Amino acid sequence: MQYYEDIQPGAVREIGSHTFTEQAIVAFARQFDPQPFHTDPEAAKKSAFGGLIASGWHTAATVMRLIVDSAIEVEASLGSPGFDDLSWLKPVRPGDTIRVRMTCIDKTPSRSRPGIGSARFLVETFNQKDELVMRYTSIGIMRFRNPVQP
Amino acid sequence: MKYLEDFAVGQTMEFPPRTVSEDEIIAFARDYDPQPFHLDKEAARQSLFGGLCASGWHTAGMMMRMLVDNVIGKYASMGSPGVDQLRWVKPVFPGDTLHLRGEILDVKPSRSKPDRGVVTSRYEMKNQKGETVLTMQAKGMYARRPV
Repeated sequence: MQYYEDIQPGAVREIGSHTFTEQAIVAFARQFDPQPFHTDPEAAKKSAFGGLIASGWHTAATVMRLIVDSAIEVEASLGSPGFDDLSWLKPVRPGDTIRVRMTCIDKTPSRSRPGIGSARFLVETFNQKDELVMRYTSIGIMRFRNPVQP
Repeated sequence: MKYLEDFAVGQTMEFPPRTVSEDEIIAFARDYDPQPFHLDKEAARQSLFGGLCASGWHTAGMMMRMLVDNVIGKYASMGSPGVDQLRWVKPVFPGDTLHLRGEILDVKPSRSKPDRGVVTSRYEMKNQKGETVLTMQAKGMYARRPV
């Protein structure tokens, strides 16, 4: 979430970290994803996951928080139209610590709105064992620091 | 309990609507997406959105809750490998009522693990004006009916 001019395709940003607690996993899941393997440690033991795991949406929302907290210029961000190819590759469990790597894929100035542009980022989330737990491609809309006058 | 075999390609799903409040929007944003246009009415007025709006991850979370309450929770869910082509088409504002529809695109038993399979579905969420606010394709893993 820098200004458009600051974004360099190929540039890598390392962001982190956050440790998940059982309490936070259960609280998020009760509100948004009340499946037994996210809300009930006993039931989770008998599930395919063998224990309580975070909702994938909880992991994704936590990654968003890490990205926002790491932003140098929050004011430059104008939101996002969405993301592609989100994969939840490994479960996130209580006590796991995640970190995020954002790699800029490409950037494009807006044709219709001078002074803004978009960029795509590969967003990879790793746990404390350096296993990839989640991956997606995000699209961000941002302001130019110095809009070119028409 | 329902299983993989109870999904049919072409099957459509309607969900009871849900209304979102300003307090909910701000509470989620404080925890997970503290950008000014999700937290601060004044700052949001000057943003591209024109007013305070929900974090897209909050909208996705509310959609997930509708899915769990009405579909996933009634089936032998084994989690999700992922989602694709999620688009936040329009902002969700305080007081908006969200209507979700879904369609099953594909039901595929696993080749390597005979006890499960993957269901691919497409969802569209609209607001009370009939405007699309979110679209997404999702994959869900489900147990097959025990023999």
